[in-house]
Amino acid sequence: MFDVGLNHYLLLSAILFSLGMIGVLIRRNAIVILMSIELMLNAVNLSFVAFSHQMNNMDGKIIVFFVMTIAAAEAGVGLALAVAILKRFKEINIRQFEQLKG
Amino acid sequence: MGESYNIVFYILSSVAVLAALGVILLPNPIYSALCLAGTMVALAGLFFALGAYFVAGVQLIVYAGAVMVLFVMVVMLFDLRRETEAFSGGPWGFFLKIGAGALALGLIAGAFEISKTGAPEAGDKAAALATSTKALAEVLFTKHVFAFEIISVLLLIVIVGAVTLARSRGGTHV
Amino acid sequence: MSHSFLIATCLLAPFIGFLINGFMYRQKNPYLAGALATGAAATSFVCSLLLYFDLVRMPAEARNITVTFFEWFGVAGLSVPAAFTVDQISSVMILIITGVGSLIHLFSVGYMSHDERPSKYFAYLNLFLVNMLLLVLGDNLLVMFVGWEGVGLCSYLLIGYWFKDEEKAAAGMKAFVVNRIGDAGLLLGIFFLFAHFGTVNFGALNAAAAQLTPETGWGIVTIACLFLFVGAMGKSAQIPLYVWLPDAMAGPTPVSALIHAATMVTAGVYMIVRLNALYVAAPITMTIVATVGAVTALMAATIGLTQWDIKKVLAYSTVSQLGYMFLGVGVGAFGPGMFHLMTHAFFKALMFLGAGSVIHAMHEEQDMRYMGGLKKYIPITHWTFVFGWLAILGLPPFSGFFSKDEILWQAYHSPRGHIIFWIMGVVGAGLTAFYMTRLMALTFWGKSRVPSKTHPHEAPPTMTVPLIILAVLSVTGGWIGIPHVITHTFHVDIPNVFQDWLSPRLTAVPNQTEADPMLEWIFMGVSVGLAGCSAWLAYYLYVLKPNVLDDVYSKLRLVHKVFYNKYWVDEAYFAFIIRPIVAFSRFLWSKFDVLVIDKATYLISDLILEGGRGLKGYQSGNVQQYALYMVIGLVAILLLL
Repeated sequence: MFDVGLNHYLLLSAILFSLGMIGVLIRRNAIVILMSIELMLNAVNLSFVAFSHQMNNMDGKIIVFFVMTIAAAEAGVGLALAVAILKRFKEINIRQFEQLKG
Repeated sequence: MGESYNIVFYILSSVAVLAALGVILLPNPIYSALCLAGTMVALAGLFFALGAYFVAGVQLIVYAGAVMVLFVMVVMLFDLRRETEAFSGGPWGFFLKIGAGALALGLIAGAFEISKTGAPEAGDKAAALATSTKALAEVLFTKHVFAFEIISVLLLIVIVGAVTLARSRGGTHV
Repeated sequence: MSHSFLIATCLLAPFIGFLINGFMYRQKNPYLAGALATGAAATSFVCSLLLYFDLVRMPAEARNITVTFFEWFGVAGLSVPAAFTVDQISSVMILIITGVGSLIHLFSVGYMSHDERPSKYFAYLNLFLVNMLLLVLGDNLLVMFVGWEGVGLCSYLLIGYWFKDEEKAAAGMKAFVVNRIGDAGLLLGIFFLFAHFGTVNFGALNAAAAQLTPETGWGIVTIACLFLFVGAMGKSAQIPLYVWLPDAMAGPTPVSALIHAATMVTAGVYMIVRLNALYVAAPITMTIVATVGAVTALMAATIGLTQWDIKKVLAYSTVSQLGYMFLGVGVGAFGPGMFHLMTHAFFKALMFLGAGSVIHAMHEEQDMRYMGGLKKYIPITHWTFVFGWLAILGLPPFSGFFSKDEILWQAYHSPRGHIIFWIMGVVGAGLTAFYMTRLMALTFWGKSRVPSKTHPHEAPPTMTVPLIILAVLSVTGGWIGIPHVITHTFHVDIPNVFQDWLSPRLTAVPNQTEADPMLEWIFMGVSVGLAGCSAWLAYYLYVLKPNVLDDVYSKLRLVHKVFYNKYWVDEAYFAFIIRPIVAFSRFLWSKFDVLVIDKATYLISDLILEGGRGLKGYQSGNVQQYALYMVIGLVAILLLL
């Protein structure tokens, strides 16, 4: 078990991912939720790189490259939206934005 | 891989996990942001250990360098210090934790299962490590050149979108 | 022209007329609608003529044109084709239907020229024609039944044509409901026949009936024919289902002429003649038919004596004459029964159309107490009506004489006849003479009681031409059915064309005896004499010495009351049948429908509403909650893997 192999990386990735998911679910601050999403994306990147290293396949790293790009873009847009909402409503608590209820 | 490799792995992974816990548990958003940056740095180290030098570099520059700075800037801009409640929901919290814990279990199980069926090929790791950046570049600009171009367009769109959103006076009107 | 083309055209021409007029029901030009409808009817008449001539060319034993258009339906054991047959019986019928029908269509053009929806009227008339033709041309009971129901529907539509008047609409309903009661009996009869014989085809049924003996199947045939007669009672207005026909006078007069005199009401008679072999095998039923016919003939005549509405008198006269027809077929005189059907179509349609002309001249007044002396205002109507009157009186040489007399003679002479039938028939004939002369006197002769502001004027040619044609037929129509006794006695060689034409299709009642010509002449003399005397009596009372009338009336006040109130039959039906049914329905509605059934439906709807309300909680707008749902779903999928 102490000899680190693919499984360890995958386990770490799973832990980080679920931590990120818990963060999305339990935090009230919209910015922190966005941060938790970034955490999840990072975990996924880790698992891609681990597989790529294991398979000696370059495609995993390519995907990571793209994922990072997209994550950065998404973070930018998400924060811009958060700023817009913050300016209007002066509130960052997502529980205040429940107008889409049935 | 020698013992050093293992130790490096365990240290870096512990840092990453602890920092992640900090992200989601600390009430102050600035602390959360800094912890996230720490997670990213730890992950960059892990990428180094896996021989993905280029990816590690990009992680440090783009993620830890640009994205986190953006987060911190937004948090500071709006002075989000005061948080009377950090965690949303009361009894829901229980369900959330249970759901997430179950998910973790499921994911781990899935990860193990897949790794058992997949066929790992032992290749020339030393050679791959040495020329990894060059090989990545080759594949990127030949096999995935279309996706690369699309990504560029996407970034352009994002820039335009972000500027538009920033220009607005906020709220529900355009 | 092939036979299937002729039959198809005969059926489709009025149907297309119905469709075209039906789609254009809003247009206001009565001449356009009328021309279209009359053209369609005339086309059918031409086809009927051509088919008749084709039949004439065929040898007498094989006079039958049967065409099957398609297989209507075939289920286990029962195969029903859409088949039509033109033989001696149905050719007579289609000639009457299309011929008299065309004349009535022509009359309607003038009569309904002020109506606001002429296309609708003519569409209904054409539809009626289609259904009546289906009825008589059908080769099996089920095709006939389609036509049977169809004419009932058209009767309802046309009686209640001026539906904005509640009474008129109610009359339409009454006709349809009473008809329906008869139809239930008809259906039962069809079921019985199919159950026993395994077929509904007329030819097969008649052939099978000829094989029957008392042991093997007279019982079931008796019951089946009885049920079929119940249907005939409804459609042809015999006791006890006649109550709709007088009320049916609420419809336009040409409708009364076509449907309630010449064609639809004769459907029952046609059916019995069509299935004559079956009826011959059911003597008990035949006796019942004859009895009902005779009683109806008599009773309706008594009611007709007292009525003041000109159309009601004619309506009761129709019921009475139909009674004669049933009396005829009930004793086995199928030929004379059909013959009377034909002559009655001529003179009754003539008189109804004449009455229409009178009503038109009197500007919609129908009460004879306000008429009188119309002879000089509407001469053509008057003189054509005279010929109808002479025909129904049964005076020679007019058509009614030949047909009615033959029935009366057979009512006594046939093995299934009886002197009582003859007596009732003769008394009825006397009464008929009396009330018809009364009608003539009150309407056309004597002093005029017409209010001065009504200026009666003669009808336009579209109305008078049919009257003239029908008058000619009423005079001459009987000459094709001169009974043998007359030609024999005078040693003239004129055949009884009508009887000879029909006889290959008719089954004779067994045990016929030799006819005594002397007795025939005596009976003939008695009935003609009685009719003549009654007519003279009526003329005397109503024209020459009206004051004597009051004396007579005061002596017979009670009798008059019974007749005038129509024996209170309608009131009895209402009290004993309709009121209990309505009360029971009301009870069922308030106690059962509202409390039980409605509650059950509310229960279900409440359940669903509550369920919906409960499920609403899942859409709170809380994004994290939605994310949780996603997580749970993801967990579930992963667990499944």
